[in-house]
Amino acid sequence: MIRLALISSTETSEAYGALITRLHRAVWTVYAPANSGESGQALGKVTEAASADAILADQTDAFDALVIDTDPASTARLAKAASSLSKPILAGPAGGKLGALGQADTLLMPAHPWRFIPSIQSVKRSIDAGKLGQAGLLRIHRWLPPDEGGGSLSEHILPDADLACWLFGGAPKTVWSLQSAANPDYIQFHLGFANDGMAMIDVAASLPSGGDYFSLTMIGDTGAVYADDHHNMNLLYAGGQPNAIRTSQGRSDLADQLQEFVDAIGEQREATVTLADTSRAAAVAAQVIESAQTKKVVEGRAGN
Amino acid sequence: MADPKKTFRAGVLSVVKHDYLPRAVAAHPRFKLVVVADDADQPDWVHERNQLFADEFGIPYVRDVPKAIAEYNLDLAAVSSEAERHCDLAVRAADAGLHVIADKPMSTRLSECDRLVEAVQRNDIKFLLWNRNYLPAVIQAKEAVQSGAIGELHAIHVDFYFSKDAGPSKGTRQPGDPPINWLERQIEAHADGSDGGVGNEAMGELQIEGIYPLGYVQLLTGQNVQRVFARTATHFHQANVDNHVDDLATVSLELENGIVGSLCIGRIGAAGHPDIGEIKIHAVGSKGGIVISEARPEVSIHYRDQPPLEFKNERIANENDFLLMDDFARALDTGCETILNARIGRDIAATVFAAVESGNTGQPVEVTPLK
Repeated sequence: MIRLALISSTETSEAYGALITRLHRAVWTVYAPANSGESGQALGKVTEAASADAILADQTDAFDALVIDTDPASTARLAKAASSLSKPILAGPAGGKLGALGQADTLLMPAHPWRFIPSIQSVKRSIDAGKLGQAGLLRIHRWLPPDEGGGSLSEHILPDADLACWLFGGAPKTVWSLQSAANPDYIQFHLGFANDGMAMIDVAASLPSGGDYFSLTMIGDTGAVYADDHHNMNLLYAGGQPNAIRTSQGRSDLADQLQEFVDAIGEQREATVTLADTSRAAAVAAQVIESAQTKKVVEGRAGN
Repeated sequence: MADPKKTFRAGVLSVVKHDYLPRAVAAHPRFKLVVVADDADQPDWVHERNQLFADEFGIPYVRDVPKAIAEYNLDLAAVSSEAERHCDLAVRAADAGLHVIADKPMSTRLSECDRLVEAVQRNDIKFLLWNRNYLPAVIQAKEAVQSGAIGELHAIHVDFYFSKDAGPSKGTRQPGDPPINWLERQIEAHADGSDGGVGNEAMGELQIEGIYPLGYVQLLTGQNVQRVFARTATHFHQANVDNHVDDLATVSLELENGIVGSLCIGRIGAAGHPDIGEIKIHAVGSKGGIVISEARPEVSIHYRDQPPLEFKNERIANENDFLLMDDFARALDTGCETILNARIGRDIAATVFAAVESGNTGQPVEVTPLK
């Protein structure tokens, strides 16, 4: 049984706590708050350290692997501090900031929870099973309220840059993007991949407060897959116009990502998400911003 | 203002592809088909199709366009020829003082589009380029945007995938086999109505169908595209590979007033969707966003022994053809502009040509404005 430590907010610890019964071959043993006053009570009977730094200094015998799930800057700082412990780390999402850690001797799995969402897993399985044939066109619309968008423009872009690279199996060869002059929280990027693959992605962090919207289409030469919030809306009638309410995909993203981390440790293998993936996506995000600023086509520089 | 009770006499100038356009003219009570006409020097297959259509409607087929115009007291011409002849036939009709309805695409040459715009202006006639702007969901999108529900428009996107096959799949040509002849393939495609690209000049999906999604962009923004960046590929169909034209494309659009847009378009094959294809409009404004499925409203129909290629969801309440003809009648009655006039059609064609060039060069391309 792998003993896990968690550094996070109360809210995130509650999300992990709800997954306790679904986790195989691992158990939570230590919790440290991302900020003072927060609690890991939801994780059950665990040792609560006074702070994130304290867990790294005083509690290292109480856990085998560390999960850091805080804001990107703190995650990167804590991951760097924890790297000297030679314990496996699941860190993030931390955007490109994790790339500075370089190649670690022990497992460092960057969190890319967007890959583990059930709809995205279904898309990936369809591609991997050959149902779609040669991948041709990826279309993503991701619209967020400002409070969900958070972070920098680069951080907004990174998840979909990663999805594009992951689904096409490599980095883009060329990058083109447009940013709305009227809405700096909106960007569209247009990627060209090998074998005439292409991706058209728009990210808007300017929806009014409330729900977000995500739609992903992948078209291959023998089929297509549509993962679309629009399709998964139900209706609520409470007077006036009906409201569309999206059916939840649950928290399989968190559970499956954590299980992959645990399994990679147990099987002493590389995780399916690597630091190279994060670096590649961060490099693409940087190229997207460069193209928007220069209004020129940027040749891809990220490694495959 | 014309007599609102007048029935307009229409001549069909060539009807060689899927014939929804002249059928829509015939179906509207304000219009009457009186003759089919074409040039005598056209090939036999053209004459055969013209004759067939004329016979169905019980009207004469005249192998002489000027003669038909002179002798049948026409008010308008309905042009449904090969794309490369659209503008020439339309200009000749306009120069004879006829109003014109023409099928899409406007032309295979921008210079021809410019010539048509000039003829329409010089002769002070009305012109309608066929489009889908009166589909129920498109009307809904227009109403939502115009109502200000999403605020000032910042971005607009159209996904336009036709899940139709187009002959043999890419990669199926055997060594030694000749490349597929575009015109022969399109003539063959008439049987299932997928011959929108009929003509001697091969056209990619951007050229054949781009008018529809770009028509939505123009309708909802009221703005022209100024610059494009496009990626194009031949991903699905051997005919497109052999004739060096796209069947899949993505286009970034920079519009007037700083609006950002995009278009994804493809003829993605029948396996890629249970119906005609995924067609959607997404728009982001200063107050929110809207997601519109062009297919709505629809009814799902499933039954034993259903043919595999029969659409499982049937579009309903589609009055696009009727409303386009209503729009045209209104223009003739009142002198107002049609929903997609020659100038708009020309500017959309210019966007398409710029996108094709961008796809070929890998660089952004300025859209050529009308001089």
